[in-house]
Amino acid sequence: MKKKLKKNKNFNPDQRSFFFEDYLETNKRNKSSEKNNYFQDRIYILFFLFFSLIFIFSVRILHVSLNKIEIFNKEKSIHKFTLLRRDIVDRNGVLISRNIKSFHAAINPKLIVNNNNFIIKLKLNFPDLDIEEIKKKLDRGKYFYLKKRISQNDKEKLWSLGEKGIIFEPFQSRVYTHSSLFSHVIGQVDYDNYGISGVEKFFDKELKDKKLLKTPLKLTLDANVQYLVSKELSIALKTFKAPGGGALLMNVENGEILSLVSLPDFDINIRAKLADKKYINKITKGVYELGSIFKTFTIALALDNDIVKPETLIKNIPKSIKCSRYNISDIKDFPKNLSVEDILVRSSNIGTLLIARMIGEEKYKKFLNDTNLQKNPDIELEEVGNPIKFDWNKCKLETVSYGHGITTTPLQAATVYGILSNGGHMIKPKLSNNEEKTLRERIISEKTSRDINNILRKVVTDDNGTAHLADKEGYNVGGKTGTSQNYKNKNESLNTFISVFPTQKPKYVLLVMLENPQVPENLIYNYKGVKIKAFRNEAGWNSVYVAGKIIEKIGPILAIKSKDFNADLYVAEKIN
Amino acid sequence: MLKIKFLISIITFSSLLFGTSIIKNQSRELEKNIYNLSKKINLIEKDLNESQLDFSYLTSPSILENKIELIDHQDYITMNYSKIFPSLLTFINFKNSIAIKDNYNEEKIKKK
Repeated sequence: MKKKLKKNKNFNPDQRSFFFEDYLETNKRNKSSEKNNYFQDRIYILFFLFFSLIFIFSVRILHVSLNKIEIFNKEKSIHKFTLLRRDIVDRNGVLISRNIKSFHAAINPKLIVNNNNFIIKLKLNFPDLDIEEIKKKLDRGKYFYLKKRISQNDKEKLWSLGEKGIIFEPFQSRVYTHSSLFSHVIGQVDYDNYGISGVEKFFDKELKDKKLLKTPLKLTLDANVQYLVSKELSIALKTFKAPGGGALLMNVENGEILSLVSLPDFDINIRAKLADKKYINKITKGVYELGSIFKTFTIALALDNDIVKPETLIKNIPKSIKCSRYNISDIKDFPKNLSVEDILVRSSNIGTLLIARMIGEEKYKKFLNDTNLQKNPDIELEEVGNPIKFDWNKCKLETVSYGHGITTTPLQAATVYGILSNGGHMIKPKLSNNEEKTLRERIISEKTSRDINNILRKVVTDDNGTAHLADKEGYNVGGKTGTSQNYKNKNESLNTFISVFPTQKPKYVLLVMLENPQVPENLIYNYKGVKIKAFRNEAGWNSVYVAGKIIEKIGPILAIKSKDFNADLYVAEKIN
Repeated sequence: MLKIKFLISIITFSSLLFGTSIIKNQSRELEKNIYNLSKKINLIEKDLNESQLDFSYLTSPSILENKIELIDHQDYITMNYSKIFPSLLTFINFKNSIAIKDNYNEEKIKKK
């Protein structure tokens, strides 16, 4: 028993009396304490809830304070104009095309108060509109477009009608400040800002790149040069009564195109369906038999393969040669013995043909392949022509040697002239001013290139040369003429002149092409210092004359920008 | 103790709340100003765009030529030949050829 008591924690051996616990009170107290605990828990929960709310609000307030909240949606602000397409500028930064805010005029018939009144107002202000059609559409009661891409003047006129039902739908349209000047190069966009032709189509993705929207797309074209070339060519079309023509100016070192003109042209600010073939880009899409232009290629190939030298005499050149079913002859009587140089200067078909036979078909084929003359032109445009493929049957080499029976685009022919004159390096014609470096693959030797440049210069300066009218003092122009007949109509001709200048170290190649030019009635030529009237119709009397005029005009611009110049040096002189 | 903690948290929260609202109000004012300024900038940008377009159109070679024909009645002397040379070398060669010719003529005159 004692042991049991000792084990009890509450056992007190000194205790003399008993204490009686009132369990009723204790229970009450316990209950009250439990109640208190219960309330305390509630307070804690409430406190926790409030604390959580405060914490959440504090975090949110902190978040709001730290984050920048757009109180005003600037993007949707009516004043904000975000471009959808990059600008296009020329090599000097001159603006060629830009997006602007334009409007379509639409009609919501439900908002028109008095249809008849509205029709009368429209009739008075816009007599060109098809009123009957508008009446029908109004009766149908559905939303329709009255006029798409309205001018500011038309917008103001419509505004002044005071009709609620006229809705001006904003959209971005493309404006071309030079209207028709770059029509064949720049191309157009549709209403949704997608490029549908020319550079606009080729560079569509780049032009819509949001990261580059503020950086304009820089082209290699020069607006001033383009204008001068275009103007001279337009005058030439009138002078020679030619229905069409084209011109191309290219840097022979890097293939940069400074000017590309194809006439007739059209205003690219006006959306029109141009189905007529005369509006094609004659330089890149037109595929032609360019005639004697090819003789230069034959001579260059022969020189490069060491088959002949410029002074090598080709003896006993016959007056005509029968090749398969063709009878090949020259348009003029030439001496029996001609040097290789003379053959090109005088443009002898038979002489060139004999040289081509020395070269052989395989080498000629390889040259055509290396220079891409028979492939699709590689340029940053969608509008490119496909040279007509042919079989190398009997007599093909002979006809090809002087440019008959072979077609190519003027762009490709000019590029090959660039290659022949730049020291023999491959070039790729380009329109965008990117800095990408191209592989300078060698096509012909530097010596051959020098020889060709000298011969081309003689074509212009020699008494027997065919391009005397392009001899402009100070520019050392060299080149080769080509007169070919239209396949379908033998009376129609295509006269081409491809020039390179300055021939000491060519920098530019200029191609001038006229479609079916006529002998001008009132034109007086300054031919070798003598004033004469036109009496012939070959390229030497029209395309060459035009090329001379163009070089005279663009020469100073090109010269001023030449890196060879030191600005302090006196390079211009006025005599008269 | 609990009351003090409670009070401190309420005071802190209230002060933060007031502080934030004051800052927010000020930033709202700033935002308003920024908005107004950006509106002005947009308008100026629009004007600039239009001016650039006008400039580009009015200074395009064809327009300039037409204007010169209309406004300017001065007759310019045309050069017989282009006296601007594509390279310095051609200029020097040209000058040399003239100098040689002149020397030759002078010698001829002297001989006479």
